[in-house]
Amino acid sequence: MSHPSEMISAFLDGELNAQEAAGLKAHLGSCGRCAGELEEFQRVRSAVRSLPLLELPAGLVSGADAELIPLRRHRGVMVGAAAAIVALVVAFAAMLTPPSPTVSIDDLSSRFGARVSLDPAFGPAKVVVPDWETEGIEEE
Amino acid sequence: MESIPLTWEEVARVYGRKIYNFAYRLTGNPDDAHDLVQEVLLRVRRGLASYQPGSFEGWLWRITRNAFLDDVRRRNRRPTSPLPEEVDRWDAAATDPADIEYDRITLGDDIQKALLELPIEFREAVVLCDVVGLSYEEIAMAAAVPIGTVRSRIHRGRKMLRGLLG
Repeated sequence: MSHPSEMISAFLDGELNAQEAAGLKAHLGSCGRCAGELEEFQRVRSAVRSLPLLELPAGLVSGADAELIPLRRHRGVMVGAAAAIVALVVAFAAMLTPPSPTVSIDDLSSRFGARVSLDPAFGPAKVVVPDWETEGIEEE
Repeated sequence: MESIPLTWEEVARVYGRKIYNFAYRLTGNPDDAHDLVQEVLLRVRRGLASYQPGSFEGWLWRITRNAFLDDVRRRNRRPTSPLPEEVDRWDAAATDPADIEYDRITLGDDIQKALLELPIEFREAVVLCDVVGLSYEEIAMAAAVPIGTVRSRIHRGRKMLRGLLG
């Protein structure tokens, strides 16, 4: 005797056509095994359906931030992009600046780029990070 | 005639909660669910411009499950594995006293744990059916599989849940 086990779930979901449903009902009336399965599947189905419907976390979606959804997984990319832009601007500025015999290319290297200035009062060259760079970083 | 939301904000307003619940039940993690909802809404925003009238729900849930599967692939998970690492993460996250809402949700939640042990295809079908409330036809459209496959996945998913829940 074949047991239409797979049809039981569909029956519970109202996904059988009238003919299939009638056939299954007739079978359930004479098959204790399938009738028991029906009860067990009904229990499982009810259990999943009893899971609480969760509220959407506040602030996740709102019309106010429609244009600026804070995608956390993209933050690293944004930081990298900001750093790349800063580095390009600094590199371009360096190209326009007349070369100084007392400043080497190593002095220009830093994570987000740097402006080099010479302060005769304190001797050696020092690296100064301009305000506009740190402001850009803080925004992230 | 199906009413089609015209803006992604309307989609978010009408379907946001459903998408979040789908995402939460599939990932078992509020942070992942949060990210998934945002990813889905971004894809909806991009996709609405080229949306062709048809089954909006089918279109929306196809986007949603594809976003989920893309995330799974990104994490190098095997789509047909039971994802035991998710269960571990669930346990770890549930001990975090700072997240009251999360504790409230997870306290004694054997059903969610059992869901996370299902292969993704079964979990997705069961959640779309029993949590989101889609018909088999809508699930078939979202998953791009025949209705018979949906029927089989839901049945096998529930069968596994029956064993897991005892």
